[in-house]
Amino acid sequence: MLQLENVQIFNAGKPLFSTLSLKIVAGEIASIMGPSGCGKSTLLSAICGNLANVFTLNGDVCLNDRSILALPMEKRRIGILFQDDLLFPHMNIAENLAFALPPELGKQERNLKIAEALEKGGLSGFEKRDPVTLSGGQRARVSLLRSLLAEPEALLLDEPFSTLDQELKDQIRSFVFETIRSMNIPALLVSHDHRDCPTGQVINLANQGS
Amino acid sequence: MSSLGLFPMVTFACFLSAIVIGLISTWAQAFGYMPSLELTHFSVTAWQQLFSYPGFGRSIMATLISGIGATLTALVFTFLLFAFSYHNRFWRVLDHALAPLLAVPHAAFAIGFLFLTAPSGWILRLLSPELTGFSTPPDWNVVKDVYGISLMLALVLKEVPFLILIALGALGQINVQGSLAVGRSLGYEKVQVWVKIILPQLYPKIRLALFAVLAYSLSVVDIAQILGPTTPPSLAVQVFRWFNDPDFEYRLLGAAGATLILLLVIGSIGLLYLSEVGIKWLFRSWLINGQRRSRFFLLTTLSNFFISALVGISIAVILVLLVWSFTWRWQFPDFLPGDWSFRFWGKGFLQMTDPIWNTISTGIMASLLAVFLVIGCLENEIQMQKRGRKANTTKMLWLIYLPLLIPQIAFLFGVQVSLVVLHLDGFWLSLVWSHLLFVLPYVFLSLGPVYRSYDQRITDVAVTLCRSTWRTFLRVKLPILLRPILFAIAIGFSVSVAQYLPTLFIGAGRFDTITTEAVSLASGSDRRIVSVYALLQMLTPMIVFLSAILIPRFYFHDRKGMQI
Repeated sequence: MLQLENVQIFNAGKPLFSTLSLKIVAGEIASIMGPSGCGKSTLLSAICGNLANVFTLNGDVCLNDRSILALPMEKRRIGILFQDDLLFPHMNIAENLAFALPPELGKQERNLKIAEALEKGGLSGFEKRDPVTLSGGQRARVSLLRSLLAEPEALLLDEPFSTLDQELKDQIRSFVFETIRSMNIPALLVSHDHRDCPTGQVINLANQGS
Repeated sequence: MSSLGLFPMVTFACFLSAIVIGLISTWAQAFGYMPSLELTHFSVTAWQQLFSYPGFGRSIMATLISGIGATLTALVFTFLLFAFSYHNRFWRVLDHALAPLLAVPHAAFAIGFLFLTAPSGWILRLLSPELTGFSTPPDWNVVKDVYGISLMLALVLKEVPFLILIALGALGQINVQGSLAVGRSLGYEKVQVWVKIILPQLYPKIRLALFAVLAYSLSVVDIAQILGPTTPPSLAVQVFRWFNDPDFEYRLLGAAGATLILLLVIGSIGLLYLSEVGIKWLFRSWLINGQRRSRFFLLTTLSNFFISALVGISIAVILVLLVWSFTWRWQFPDFLPGDWSFRFWGKGFLQMTDPIWNTISTGIMASLLAVFLVIGCLENEIQMQKRGRKANTTKMLWLIYLPLLIPQIAFLFGVQVSLVVLHLDGFWLSLVWSHLLFVLPYVFLSLGPVYRSYDQRITDVAVTLCRSTWRTFLRVKLPILLRPILFAIAIGFSVSVAQYLPTLFIGAGRFDTITTEAVSLASGSDRRIVSVYALLQMLTPMIVFLSAILIPRFYFHDRKGMQI
């Protein structure tokens, strides 16, 4: 469970939004809506531990009942998905996925996990492909699969569909939501487009503005 | 606007003619063909002489140690700095120091470095006599060591800021913040993300610059004369001496040596490329082994220490030159001079009137010509793109880098000989042309990215308003790009000021500049006057840099959109 308790973010002493409390249970995908500049992405940065120095954070963020605010980003076990797929261009698809796997797995196990993940994304046989040769939708799927292979305990999505065209959007959206639900982890999505939001709770950050 | 198509042709004709003629002429002489000496038969005598020349082996050794050593060390430190210190408080110091560090000419830096590290230098004065017990300078061989280590160290200190500058430009094409966020959210520590994700993407983008550093370090003459070994000197210095020998027979030996340097450079570049392929292959599985923790705690300290040392030594280099230039009497173990004086500045300016004038006129002319040609080439590129033809920017970059990848000493002598045949040697315009060869690449590298990112729609709007492409170019585009253009001129000027070999070879000894004077006096002459020369060499480009910053600031003082 991902839990925000009285969270408020300040920029130079000024709050970006009024205090926010939120509980997301495993398997739920909650959404935060709001126009650009209302602090949605900043909130995600704060949760995953990538908050820029100019901001300060009040309140607490708990993952599975322990506070994670004191942990560095790499220790929080929170995956994040951006607008850009951010596949690493110097690695092929299999290597991109392998990068996310835990170190203790043996070689065969790794290959198996990669093949399984690719199959889930309808990308079987794409192991040796160069990321730049994939279509936008394919890249978005690899990006999601990669973040899930690291076995995160929660997932954040920062307007993940905004660069895709409408038709692709619907396709990818249902793929992402189904995959997250099957992993049974809490997820939080921010968007300015209400059509992006799945069935979970929806919070409109603009209405909470101070 | 079809005349724009001439610009790339003229530019490359300018480049390639010199390099091709110079190389062929040098190679011909290396094989004993020199019609002016009535040598019209090819032979390998010069090569036999070269390989059996006393001290040849040690010469090669010092060249390779200082050249390859400096390049690899500079690369390792550059990567170390990015991986361990990027955006920490040490980095912020480096960020501010970068431009001034780059503006210090190599020769001036080498002279200051010599006055710092020599047995009678500032460092030993600081420690003596309390810690060392020395009351006279010890008889140590620390600078000008036979292995070329001190030359290598000075090269590293000068090349790291250059590589960092190039890398910072290249990082603009890599999503650093995004990669760090994704990598860390996958559980990797920051350093691991740098090492496994960002640096492997960065290397191919700075490869050409690294090759240029390698070519430069293997063939440098001016600072090798100041800090390099003496008996025997590094190969480039030896070749330079042969070329200047009154006995013409030695020129053939020099030509063979110059060709050997070119071969060493080509071989080293090949080795570097092979190592890249090898390392890529070897570390492929390590890259994805999933290991997320870094165990390099000491390296952070080392990286921060290196930044401090780099900035600290550079400041000390300038300070020691300043102190020496105002010295009247300074006995050995004393930390500061006993008596001070302005005398040597007065004396320096009096002696240097001609060199200062030559330096400034050549530098301004070469950098203005370079900016003119570069803008022409870039405008041509934009026109071509408008007509739907894609300009081949990668090929362009290779051509631009060409004069930086071929050692100066490997072709400039050949150019000089050809100019003598054509009765074109020793002319000021020939000198300007030879400087242009090395000024142009830097002007292109500095102006190109900004010029290409100019919003062409502003021009399109302006043309519909005033209905003249020329007026739009002069009244709209040039003023908007004034700052980067002036900055490119300043960079070009500083490159021209630092030129040593072209000035001596193509100027046929008729044009003394601040640099040629400073280098020729550096070892053995009065430290006080040498310091004045070194500081003048540093100050001249700095004044131009300062103008490049201040002019647009003054011109656009009430235009907020034109401030940085």
